[in-house]
Amino acid sequence: MSQETILIGLAGVLASASPLIFAVIGETLSERAGVINLSMNGTILLAAMGGFAVAYTTDNIVLGFLGGMLIGALVALVVAFASITLQQSQVAVGFVLALTCRDLSYFLGNPYMGLPGPRLQALPIPVLSDIPVIGQLFFRHDVITYISFIAIFLAWLWIFRTRPGLMLQGIGEKPAAAYIRGANVNVMRYVYTIIGGALIGLAGPAFSLATRAGWMGTISGLDGFGWIALSITIFGGWNPVRGALGAYLFAFLQWLGLVLQPVLTQVPSQVLQVAPFPLMILTLLLVNIGNAEWVERTLAAMPESARKIFSKILRAMRTSPPAALGVPFERD
Amino acid sequence: MRQRLETLFDALLPVIATLAALAVGAVMLLFLKVNPLEAYAALLKGAFGSFNSFAETLVKATPLLLVALGICISFRGDVINIGGEGQMIVGAILATWIGLTFTDAPGWLIITLALLAGFLGGAVWGGIPGALKAYFNVNEILSTVMMNAIAVQLMNFLLRGPMIDPSQAEVASKIPQTARLLDAFQLERLAPTRLHMGALIAVVLAVLVYILLWRTTLGYRIRAVGQNPHASRYAGIKVPRYVVTALLLSGAFAGLAGAIQVYGVNYRMITDGSASGFTGSAGFNGIVAALFGQLHPLWSIPASVLFGALLVGANSMQRMVQVPSALITVLNGLVVIFVVSSEIWRRRRQRRRLVVGEEEAPPKPDKSQVQTGEAQK
Repeated sequence: MSQETILIGLAGVLASASPLIFAVIGETLSERAGVINLSMNGTILLAAMGGFAVAYTTDNIVLGFLGGMLIGALVALVVAFASITLQQSQVAVGFVLALTCRDLSYFLGNPYMGLPGPRLQALPIPVLSDIPVIGQLFFRHDVITYISFIAIFLAWLWIFRTRPGLMLQGIGEKPAAAYIRGANVNVMRYVYTIIGGALIGLAGPAFSLATRAGWMGTISGLDGFGWIALSITIFGGWNPVRGALGAYLFAFLQWLGLVLQPVLTQVPSQVLQVAPFPLMILTLLLVNIGNAEWVERTLAAMPESARKIFSKILRAMRTSPPAALGVPFERD
Repeated sequence: MRQRLETLFDALLPVIATLAALAVGAVMLLFLKVNPLEAYAALLKGAFGSFNSFAETLVKATPLLLVALGICISFRGDVINIGGEGQMIVGAILATWIGLTFTDAPGWLIITLALLAGFLGGAVWGGIPGALKAYFNVNEILSTVMMNAIAVQLMNFLLRGPMIDPSQAEVASKIPQTARLLDAFQLERLAPTRLHMGALIAVVLAVLVYILLWRTTLGYRIRAVGQNPHASRYAGIKVPRYVVTALLLSGAFAGLAGAIQVYGVNYRMITDGSASGFTGSAGFNGIVAALFGQLHPLWSIPASVLFGALLVGANSMQRMVQVPSALITVLNGLVVIFVVSSEIWRRRRQRRRLVVGEEEAPPKPDKSQVQTGEAQK
């Protein structure tokens, strides 16, 4: 393979990861505030269909993206109402919504199946795109991919470097303490769940109007991305930067599967298609293994030098969820 | 008197919630310019209109009930099993393999072995995420979803390759399906309809699961771990072991559902490349049925029949008034959302009753309660 094809392939990896990145950042914000938005898989499909339908009927691609975000925000509102106000099991509500929204998208999207719709065009950035290698990799994308680059950075900045971000961490970790510090926990949870939902919704049109343009119903191949985004969120330890790396890794593995298919002809095609899933399970295992009790016991039994090295590795990989994730907050 | 009325009302909540969901569905039907009454009449007629259609409803309800039984066990243990689809597939693969390999054996032996194989296959597919959760803290929601994806590709590989029907392997269309089981290996029919022994097996198992959960130490421990893992640990229960057991059993029942689907309905394994091509989404709808039955094995029986009826009725609704049957899956979801949100109302009132009873003081005005009440209307 020539260097050129590899570069184009890698640039494609960056672009194709952009929907996942929006979804991961959205879910990260929501879960940082303590609300699991498990509806993600359905939301993305519904937003992909809705965004495409809006862009097709209005012939305005921007409205399509906004429509997708609105759908995501509305589904998140249902999640928020059920889990914050009604104090329902977030898992049950989210899961049912995931199924309902998925079916709703196939059902409502029927008239838009396979229509030639608008698609976001690439927008090379002048001067920067001429830089060898770097220009090819980063500066010849469409707008939504650029926005995904910026969103990673902004989300990280917001969560870890601003005062409201600190409060956000607080309401997810120790809502009672945040409440005493003056945060209106439940209102903030509503706000972050809805903003997060809008970002998850943005992932939909990022598929249907950019990376995988068009709406193909059940054969769109989008079913399942929400679950992947959910595991990437965990893999990323609720950190947008690490989450984005996870999304790029996943997109890279998918690309690798495509590239390797003609080379490894004896391997059944299903093996390469399925490879990302066991790999995701493996990564989930690696990031969680440090939390397991028996690992700690094993470590304690090791000689001093080995223990130091192993615990360092484990600590680097380990992530743990916000302490109040999924737990409703009541003032008294 | 008032208390009795309230108790009656609580018992009727799922019914009321179902009616509310149907009302929302009616609005959607109006948007589609379809007369909702006509549509629902078609639905009812399709599901219960004749002996045959009622039998068909029970056929659809059988896998839902089996999956729901597993869900009752795992959700009671606070383990969320979303892998029913994959567990059904793996159970069915193993069961089918037995039936296609040992063709000389007597029918009763093969059926018994095949159902056991389905049970085991599902148990393995559920046990892996269980072990990952218990010993490595891997979130079971995600791992079961991924195990679904793996099972689907495994099925696609086997049904297009090693296990393909020899007659399909020769023709160009190559429909991904296995050969048909021998007649001797098929589950007995209960009536001159498609209703088969599997339905009876499922009902018997529902009683057994009830006994398991509420009359045995194992069930008690699973529920204890589900309600409070920390307290359970201090009480000397080995928590990880029961987490694995809960998911293992949950998967086993889904695997059995897959095996029974092959031996009772299709007599072969066939797919369209997606999970639902084989399972008909029973792995997911079973969760819905279990939630509707309030995670109680016996209540799951009527719940499964209800959702089976919705599925069968949806098809006739599609034929008779041209409404896409996907509307029914949407309706399914609405029913559960309504049921789940009505649950909180009941719990709150129960709490208020307790407060009033113990302290003889009026309950504190609670803002969210007012909102909940409004949401009901």
